[in-house]
Amino acid sequence: MADADEDAIRAPSNNPAQIETDLSDETQDFRLLSHLNFLSDPSSGSLPRRGEKDFEPNPTEFQADVLSASRQAMHNALAYPRIHNPKNQIVGIYAPEGPTPPPQVIGESLKTVDEQQKSTESAPPAQSKPESIKPDGKGVGVSPETCVYVPTPKGQYFKTMGQADRWNRVWLLPEEALYLLERGSLDIRWPSSLIGSDSNSESGVSTDEPSIPMSLQAAYACFIGRAGLTLERFSVYTGLRRLGYMLIRAPGWHDSIEQSETAPATSGTQKTATQPPSAQRGPGLAGIFGRVFQWIHDPMSTASTTAGPVAGLGIHRNYADVYRKLALIPWYDPVTAPEPHLDDTTPPFRIVFHVYKPSTTFKKTAPPPPDFRIAVLSTRDQTSFPTLSQLGALLESTPLDPPRGDKMDRLLYMRLRHGYRHVILAVVDQGVVSYLRVADSAFGKEKLYEAKNGPSGTKRNRFSHGSKRR
Amino acid sequence: MSKTAPEPSTPSSQAGPVQEKSPTRAPRPPRPNYKHIHRFPLPLSVHPVPPVIPHNPLSIISVVLSYLTFLVSPPRQEVYSAYFDSATSSVHVTDEKAIRALWERGFFGKGSLSRSQPSWLEREKKRRGLLGGNTSEEVTRKRRSERRELKLERARMEKLAIEERLKTEAAARESGAVSDDQSAPTTPANGTANGAATTTEKFSLKKAKEARLQESRNLAQTDNSAVPADSSLKPTNGKTVRFSPVVQETKFPSDSTVALQSPEAIVAGDDADDEPALQNEEHLQLSNEEAFFLVYALGVLRVYDPEQNTVIPTSSLFPLLRHHSFYPPRATSSELQPDDPFMISYAVYHHFRSLGWVVRSGVKFGTDYLLYNRGPVFSHAEFAIAVIPSYEHPYWKDTEERREYAASKQARSWWWLHCVNRVQAQVLKSLVLCYVEVPPPAGFSDDIGAALGRYRIREFLIRRWVPNRSRD
Repeated sequence: MADADEDAIRAPSNNPAQIETDLSDETQDFRLLSHLNFLSDPSSGSLPRRGEKDFEPNPTEFQADVLSASRQAMHNALAYPRIHNPKNQIVGIYAPEGPTPPPQVIGESLKTVDEQQKSTESAPPAQSKPESIKPDGKGVGVSPETCVYVPTPKGQYFKTMGQADRWNRVWLLPEEALYLLERGSLDIRWPSSLIGSDSNSESGVSTDEPSIPMSLQAAYACFIGRAGLTLERFSVYTGLRRLGYMLIRAPGWHDSIEQSETAPATSGTQKTATQPPSAQRGPGLAGIFGRVFQWIHDPMSTASTTAGPVAGLGIHRNYADVYRKLALIPWYDPVTAPEPHLDDTTPPFRIVFHVYKPSTTFKKTAPPPPDFRIAVLSTRDQTSFPTLSQLGALLESTPLDPPRGDKMDRLLYMRLRHGYRHVILAVVDQGVVSYLRVADSAFGKEKLYEAKNGPSGTKRNRFSHGSKRR
Repeated sequence: MSKTAPEPSTPSSQAGPVQEKSPTRAPRPPRPNYKHIHRFPLPLSVHPVPPVIPHNPLSIISVVLSYLTFLVSPPRQEVYSAYFDSATSSVHVTDEKAIRALWERGFFGKGSLSRSQPSWLEREKKRRGLLGGNTSEEVTRKRRSERRELKLERARMEKLAIEERLKTEAAARESGAVSDDQSAPTTPANGTANGAATTTEKFSLKKAKEARLQESRNLAQTDNSAVPADSSLKPTNGKTVRFSPVVQETKFPSDSTVALQSPEAIVAGDDADDEPALQNEEHLQLSNEEAFFLVYALGVLRVYDPEQNTVIPTSSLFPLLRHHSFYPPRATSSELQPDDPFMISYAVYHHFRSLGWVVRSGVKFGTDYLLYNRGPVFSHAEFAIAVIPSYEHPYWKDTEERREYAASKQARSWWWLHCVNRVQAQVLKSLVLCYVEVPPPAGFSDDIGAALGRYRIREFLIRRWVPNRSRD
């Protein structure tokens, strides 16, 4: 079934050898499809190992056979019957006007209160964002951006998506509905109001079960462009979702964010830079002592930054002091950076999705802090790499995540690679998504000259690992 | 081992190629003691104060003594000289001692006839047979030729495998005319997947190496026990015989260099008696940033004007280098811009040098700088720096003209980014985008330190994020 592949992906693979092969960079070997055992045995979750590539055609029949076998396997996989059990069929109804209470329930809403209370235990209304708490005029209690409701929700999908209203209907955001429709898990029907008013007026039954299903084309036409859902955002959403990640909309989803009430004086206009340490010596007794000590330590210092030499012509006691004197250029310190403000960011450079790894225990009602934060850019709108202010503001809108832990303390390179803040840019170039992790790695915070030990490992050792460094 | 590999599978090859590798490989010449040679990170000499040990009064005396000796005869800091070559817009060091010092202490500059370390003289001596040992260039060349030979070997073995397969297929076709389903290589479409996955395994470099070792061993055997061994081999494994001429052929070039060298070496040795001084044709080439760092930051270099043969003072070297950061160099009368390439690249160079990194050009990887920890002889560069000027100051947003100028200067296309990023991933470096905030133009000022202090640096580390790998 269509769900099984996702299950196979979610299951942690316990073979370390498989992790080493970069799956994304290889061409698909479709012959392995016919050996994927989830078709027969969905419980085992190991992926097969691939063979090696042929780089050019040769006249052997063997190669031709391999090729045709591969093609055949692909065809077999595509021709595999995908059965939709009517028992598992999920039907959703398109609501072009946004969330509305069901018309027939308005009169008898008192009766459903008990039912609703029961349902809150299993699927309480999701309020992932503060805005969604804000009730719209219709009092449904879900985000006003949802546009498809599922009257009888069942199945695994609603653990991680959708928001339930008081009548136990689950409302889906456009990207959720489109994703489910695209993978064949949801059947969206046109609402009776759009089919024709006569069927609506005749009986209440027709509102429950409108009969015209929505085509994929129609779904794309209806949902893309609705409530900020661009095609780029949807390709990122569906791509990561298919890989097993959980995604929810981040506060930066909307281009227009109401200005926060914070005073502009405290906002990010002020620049903080660490001054060279020599400039921080203040007056007073400590300063005098310091100067005397400095004289004792370095009696003939002629250090001058005006025309050099910065290091001075006198006697140098150790290299660390020389390096400290050389620190002239201010650098950005992410720790003392101004408080993050969402309104400093400019529209495409905002965090649009919060992404959770499949292993993270995710609760719809109380989403944990995300594993990754993703901003989606389209190369056609934003033709060049972001400038410093754009990228800087984007990074400052993420929480500080300094490198911590034993490993980080030991390994300098790892610390620098991890950075103090990080964000993922999803760069969508006409449907091709490339992800870039951008980290604020303050090199200025790592004084290499103070490090006791040199680089880990010798040159020769690293080379023997098969790397191509020169 | 693949089923189809036509390598000579004598029992000894299964015994373990790992143990057999070591004796055949020539012992590596001992590496120079880099830890000792490059023990000073900068071409400055330091004179540490002797440690004061409270319960030992002698130590205090030694401290006082050291101060006194410094007062009486202060140690002189060596100042090296170089000259500025305006044609190549670089600074040249020709003094032997200075070249050594600048290279060994901080890895400044590049030999004009070498890849990085100025080793031409050594190579030349080696070539003429005056010196033993290998220079790094030779080691690299040898490694590359070895790798190339291995690749050729691999290609040859692949070709043999294809021929072999064609032959068996032809044979199968002849017999298969009778019974189609018996043909061995053509397995039914559905069943191939598993079998094919193993049989399509190609020859790795490692395998080629093993095969080569096997070959050389076989050759040695045949050499030792001439005819009888050869005849004994023939019936057991026909393929080895077919391999051997080719192996001799491929081995020949590496042997030939040795063979060719020896007579020349004798000649050169004779020549050496006649004219013992082999002129060093190489000089050390410093980039403008390196030269200015040595002059301005450390004060260990004097840059001469080759025409007037006078020292260029720091205050005029600075504008000179800034004018020369354009091509063609701008007139000395033209106004200095705060965003000329030298200013920006020097700010970055100085920043990373002041943190203790050894900064060298990253042009071979398409970036501006490479950062080495301690130096290139100790470890590979871990970070590749791409410098991007950034015009964040309100001055640059004042007029439409300035906005356009700034946008044109700081725009980097996605293509550029992806290209650079992919290259860095391939050579196992981390890409660092280094933004330099350009200040508004200021009036003429002599204070270089203040001018540099107006720039601000922010580093972003860019890495490809692979969702498949980040899932856990």
